[in-house]
Amino acid sequence: MLLSARGIGKHYGPVEVLRDVSLSVRAGEIRALCGENGAGKSTLVKIITGNQPADSGEITIDGVVATIRSPADAQKLGIALVSQELSLAPNLSVLDNIWLGNETVPLWHRRRALAERARAALDEVGLEGLRLDRQVGTLGIGRQQLVEVARMLTRDARILILDEPTATLSDVEIAHVFEALRRLRARGHAIIYITHRLGEVFEVCDSVSVLRNGALVGDAATGAIDRAGLISAMLGRELGELYPPPRAAPADGRPALSVRALAVPDMVHGIDFSARAGSLTCLAGQIGSGVTEALRALCGLNEAATGEFTIGGRRVPLRSVGRARAAGVRFISENRAGEGIFLRLTIAENLLCGQLRRFSRGGLLRRRAMRTIAGELAAAVAVRPARLDVVAADLSGGNQQKLAFGRIIDGAMPGVLLMNEPTRGVDVGARAEIYRLVRRFCDEGWCVVMASSDLEEVMGLADEVITLYRGRVVRQVGRAAVTMHGLLADITQQQAA
Amino acid sequence: MTGALLRVTRAASPALLLRGGGGGALLIWALLTPGFLSRLSLLSMLSAISFVGCVTVGMGFITISGNIMSLALGATVSAASVVFMASLGAGLVPAVLIALLFGAAITAAQGVVVGYFRANAILVSIAALTLILGIAAHLTGGERIYPGGDGFAFFKGRIWMLPFETWLFAGCALAGQAILSFTRIGRDIIMTGSNREAARTVGVDVPIAVIAAYAIAGATSALAGILLAARYGSGDMDIGGGYEYRAIAAVLVGGIAIRGGAGSVLRGCAGVVVITVIEMVLRLRGYGEEWQYLITGLVLLGVVMAQSEGTRR
Repeated sequence: MLLSARGIGKHYGPVEVLRDVSLSVRAGEIRALCGENGAGKSTLVKIITGNQPADSGEITIDGVVATIRSPADAQKLGIALVSQELSLAPNLSVLDNIWLGNETVPLWHRRRALAERARAALDEVGLEGLRLDRQVGTLGIGRQQLVEVARMLTRDARILILDEPTATLSDVEIAHVFEALRRLRARGHAIIYITHRLGEVFEVCDSVSVLRNGALVGDAATGAIDRAGLISAMLGRELGELYPPPRAAPADGRPALSVRALAVPDMVHGIDFSARAGSLTCLAGQIGSGVTEALRALCGLNEAATGEFTIGGRRVPLRSVGRARAAGVRFISENRAGEGIFLRLTIAENLLCGQLRRFSRGGLLRRRAMRTIAGELAAAVAVRPARLDVVAADLSGGNQQKLAFGRIIDGAMPGVLLMNEPTRGVDVGARAEIYRLVRRFCDEGWCVVMASSDLEEVMGLADEVITLYRGRVVRQVGRAAVTMHGLLADITQQQAA
Repeated sequence: MTGALLRVTRAASPALLLRGGGGGALLIWALLTPGFLSRLSLLSMLSAISFVGCVTVGMGFITISGNIMSLALGATVSAASVVFMASLGAGLVPAVLIALLFGAAITAAQGVVVGYFRANAILVSIAALTLILGIAAHLTGGERIYPGGDGFAFFKGRIWMLPFETWLFAGCALAGQAILSFTRIGRDIIMTGSNREAARTVGVDVPIAVIAAYAIAGATSALAGILLAARYGSGDMDIGGGYEYRAIAAVLVGGIAIRGGAGSVLRGCAGVVVITVIEMVLRLRGYGEEWQYLITGLVLLGVVMAQSEGTRR
C-alpha cells in the first residue's frame, strides 16, 4: 500500500464527522471516493493533506507511520491535492505557475533546468503541445487543471487527490483528464478521485470507497459493484429511479416559446428553436458551444444579445431582466453563491425575493401574508417550513437550489422556466428531488428549457434535445430518437468512437 | 466543564461578546463619571446624537446597499446648511424642502454613477466631495451664510424636555427603519447589498435600488444640515466637517455589516449613542481632543477586527 489511513476519527465540537474510517490506495490505482455532501469526504481529504488534525487513527506511507501536521508535511511526503478551486495565477505563464510557491527552487536558479523539468511534467499529463510561455488564463479550465496536476508532479507527488476535477469541464476536456489519469496510473502514481458523477467511477476508477454520515460503508473494486449498488450505499436506501418518467400523454404541441436568429457577439451565431408548454427541452453542448450564453440572453441577462424571442406569439424584448420576467420568464442559475441565492439572507427572504410585488400595496409590504406564503413555498419544494429563519448559507447545495425553484412559484400563470446546469455540485439524493421538481413544473404547464453539459442528465430527463456546437444549432431531436452516440457526435462534431 | 464553556463562547460570536461586554463597561464607566448625569451634559449629548444620528441613518442605507460609505456626506451636511440659510427668504417650509431636495439630488447623482456605471463607491464619493467643496467655495466665497429670513427660532427650543432636533432625529430614524423593513424598495436595497448579481437575476432594478439608498442618505444628511444651521443661526461649509467619519464609525460600532445586505438603521443609531457617550465621558474626565480621537479610533479598530473574525470561514 502506498497510502493507508486506518481508523480515522474526527469531531468538530460535539459533532462526529468521521468515525473509524479506513482508506488505502496502492501505487498504480485510481480509487474513487464517493458520498453525499456532508458525508465526510472533504474532512478526510483535509486530514490526509495536513489541513486538519485527526482525533484518532494513523496514516502510513509505504508502510511507515507518517505524521502529517501541516500541508508542508504532506507535500514532503508526496501527497498533493488538486481542488476544484484552482490555485493558479491566471496572468503568469505556464512555466511560472508550475514553479510558483515551490520551496525547493533556490533564489539563484537555472531557468533552463526548471523549464526542462516542467516540460517533462507537462508531457506526463498529456500536454505535449503546450508552450511554456503561454499565459495560464488563456487556457480552458480542463487544461488549467492538467497544468495544476503537472505542478504537483514537479513536486514529486506520488499520491494525487483530485476533488471533483470534472465538475466544470466539457466532455472533450474530461476525456483529456481521464487520459492523463490513466497515464499517471501506468507510471505508478496512486490517485484518489472524488466525484459526484457516478459514470466516471466506472469509467476510470479501479476501486471505490463510499462514505455515509462519516462512516465507511463501502469498499469494493469497481468490477464488483454496480451503479444501483453504489447509489444505495451512498444514500443508505434505494433511490428508486433517479430520473422521473416523462409525462405519459404527449404535450399538447402548442409551441410556447420560439426563438429566431438569437445572437450574442462571439458566442452565439444566430440560433433558432422552439419549445412546447409542458415539456422539458434540453440545450446540450460543451462549454463554449453557446448554450449558457443563449439561455442567459433569453433571461435578459446579456446586454449585447439580438434576435427575436416570442412566448405564446407575443414578442419578448431581450436585454432586460424586468421585461423578460414580466413576460413570464424565470431563471435558475448554476452559480448559486454568485447569482442564484442570497447566502446571507434567510430561507423566507430567499423564497420571496422575486415576488415582493405580490405583497406590496402602495410600496408597503404585508408581512403576515408574506410569512404564510413563504411557509407554503418551502413546503412545496420540500424544505422544512420550520427552518424559514435559517440563513441560506447554512443549507446544502441541493437545498439552496430548491429555494431557487421555490421562488419561481409566484401565483402567476405557468410561464417559461430557463435553467442553466441546475444540478451542478448537487449530490445524487438531492438531484433526484430536483429532477422530480422539474418534472412537476412541466406537468403544471410550464415550458422548461435547460442548458446542460452533462449528457447523462440530458439523456435521462429531456423530452426534446437541441444540440449546439460553436454557437450554432446542430439538431433538434425528440426523446425517442436520442442516443448517447448521436449526442456526443453532435456536440463535438467528431465521429464518436 | 471546559467543553461546555467552549460551546457557550462558540455559540456567541466574538462580535456579540465584544458588544455586550463593551456596552456594559461603557455604561458603568459613564455612570461613575461625575457630571455625566447633569442636565447640561445630557442635553448636549442629545443634540450631538441627533446631528450625527441623521447622517448615520443615511450612511446606514449606503452601507446596507453594499456600497460601504460615502465620504461626501459631511460636505453635503454643510452645503445643505448653506442652501437652507440662503433660501430662507422664500419662507421656512420651502427652505426646508429645497435643502432636503438639494441633499437628495446631489447624493442621488453619486448613486447614478455607482448604480448604473458600477463605479467604485468610495472613489465616486471622493470625487463628489471635491466637487461639492469646490463649487461651494466658488459660490459662497468661503463666507458664512446668514439667514435670508427668520421663523426658525422654535428649532432652538425644546418639546417635552427634549431638544427639537432630537424629535426630528427620532422621526428620521423610525422612518428610515420603516422604509427598510416594510417597503419594497427597502427590501430591494437589502437584496442588492446582499448579492448584487442575484438581485439582478430575480428582477430587482439594481441601479434604482442603489440610487434610492443614496437619495435617502442625501436627504437625511441635509436634515442634519438644516438642524445645525438652525441651532447655530448660520450656515457654512465647515459645519458638517467630520460627520461622515463619525457616521461610518457609528455604523460599524452599531454592527451594520460593512459588506452590505444586513443590519438595521436602529443599530446604526445605537452606534451613535455609544460613540457620543465615549466622547462625552472623555471630555468630562478632562481628556483632550487627541484622546477622544485615539479612543474612538481604537474602538473602531476593535469592532472592524471583530467583524472580520465573525465572517471568516
